Amino acid sequence: MKSAIRNTIRDLRAARSMTQQELADLIFVTRQTVIAIEGDKYSPSLEVAFRIARVFAVPLEQVFQYDPSSGRRK
Amino acid sequence: MSRLSFQEKMLYAQLVGLLVVGAYYAHFLVHRQPGQHWFHAVILGVILLFVSFRTFLRRGSGSVVEDERDRQIAAIGTQWSNLILWIGLVAMLVMYWDHGGLHSRDFIVGLIFHLLLLAGFARIVRELVAYRMAA
Repeated sequence: MKSAIRNTIRDLRAARSMTQQELADLIFVTRQTVIAIEGDKYSPSLEVAFRIARVFAVPLEQVFQYDPSSGRRK
Repeated sequence: MSRLSFQEKMLYAQLVGLLVVGAYYAHFLVHRQPGQHWFHAVILGVILLFVSFRTFLRRGSGSVVEDERDRQIAAIGTQWSNLILWIGLVAMLVMYWDHGGLHSRDFIVGLIFHLLLLAGFARIVRELVAYRMAA
């Protein structure tokens, strides 16, 4: 199921020629988790989200965007 | 590079172990004869194999092998396992209250054994489904 949180990790990673495994190692998660986050199938914790933003040296809102019109509703 | 995470490989290994124990138990039920049945040896063997497999894979992986997503999925699996255990225990109590007993000691042992197998199976399958849905 798709999450209501969108992200630009794939683009940010591609711009830096970084592999999923390299990013996973930098933010201390598995490569499968990076795949799930990029596919909008898993919303990471705040801590992991901040780590990702830090790796790319960009503000958090440039990495993650909240889109209430899509994804699951509670 | 493998598409399966360390935790998924572990779950498949657990599933195989569970099937081996279940199959051995089914074989015992069909060919029931008095004497030694080596259940303890089979269960111990399966646990040892699993621990060796886990250690081998963990050493082979230089990266993170478990993270917050794995823990979240493990919690979902544990919920399912607990639910089945609770339902089974309540069913046993109902049997006891309604019939004034649980037939025999063998019946109780069989019931608990099947309950544990079922709970383990439900946990593993639920976790594997969760991994596939969020992959």
